[in-house]
Amino acid sequence: MAPRIAWRVATVRAVVEETAHARSLVFEVPYWPGHRAGQHVDVRLTAEDGYQAERSYSIASAPEDPDVVLTVERIDDGEVSPYLTEEVRAGDQLELRGPIGGHFTWRADQGGPLLLVGGGSGLVPLMAMLRHHAAQGSDADARLLLSAGRAEDVLYRDELGRLEGAAVHITLTRGAPPGWTGWTRRVDAEMLRAVGPAPSAGARAFVCGPTPFVEAVADHLLALGHPPAAIHTERFGPTGG
Amino acid sequence: MTDDDALCLDGNGLAGLLAEVFGGDPTGAQRSCPSCGLRSALGEHRAYCGAGVALRCPGCGALALRIGIAGERRVVAMTGVLVVDVAPG
Repeated sequence: MAPRIAWRVATVRAVVEETAHARSLVFEVPYWPGHRAGQHVDVRLTAEDGYQAERSYSIASAPEDPDVVLTVERIDDGEVSPYLTEEVRAGDQLELRGPIGGHFTWRADQGGPLLLVGGGSGLVPLMAMLRHHAAQGSDADARLLLSAGRAEDVLYRDELGRLEGAAVHITLTRGAPPGWTGWTRRVDAEMLRAVGPAPSAGARAFVCGPTPFVEAVADHLLALGHPPAAIHTERFGPTGG
Repeated sequence: MTDDDALCLDGNGLAGLLAEVFGGDPTGAQRSCPSCGLRSALGEHRAYCGAGVALRCPGCGALALRIGIAGERRVVAMTGVLVVDVAPG
């Protein structure tokens, strides 16, 4: 087990608008011990009256990135995410603890094939894996299947278009722009078969998204013949898909 | 729905709290369910949050452990944990 984790004061270095509902917060964290792609941090906010709220957010940045980047999607009636997505400015300080999470992680030296399946903002920890894959110049077979609502909801859209060394597949379930030639339906077994790789290739699968999405995808992967131990899941966010 | 629900999805999201009570992050540890026999990581267990939290088997829903939260106190009940297998790293 990792040593006990302490709260640290982190400074927001920059804020990046990702979509109309999500922004990335770039943190400078003193004495950051480094993380593995797929891990997350707890964020603690303290109000003037001492009231505290904690939330867990996946790290979007690669371990090679000196900054720690969190991508936060706004949940309108949430307690913490409206503050993080609307109020926080560069120079603000927040408390973080982490990195945490020992299960949903991938290191380049573990090799591939890698099958990443994300629903909505469930892309965030998978993006850390893809960035790590790119930063290491990994030759592991890496494939992403992302299910998003509309094209404008896709996080890191430009970066996904530029990714080298990984195959990116996107399905848009709430309407595609003119000229879209990709999928427009929910992830199903046929789509997963088309993305591959075949279960016999021994891929590690990482599935992250809303609970119904994760359960449906994991069931499809099992039905296709992927062994249960090769399927890693993380439930993320109340909406998406 | 509030983002309290977002926190309470699975054991991965509770890694910080679990690390507080176990002295280290146990979410990668495999648990064998005494009820249905499924072996799965604590991180993949379903989490339910209220006054405290409960972790349940992702296969059959049997209770694995509960953590009561009262101010700074953490009270852990692990009645449904038969075998937890922790590997280094």
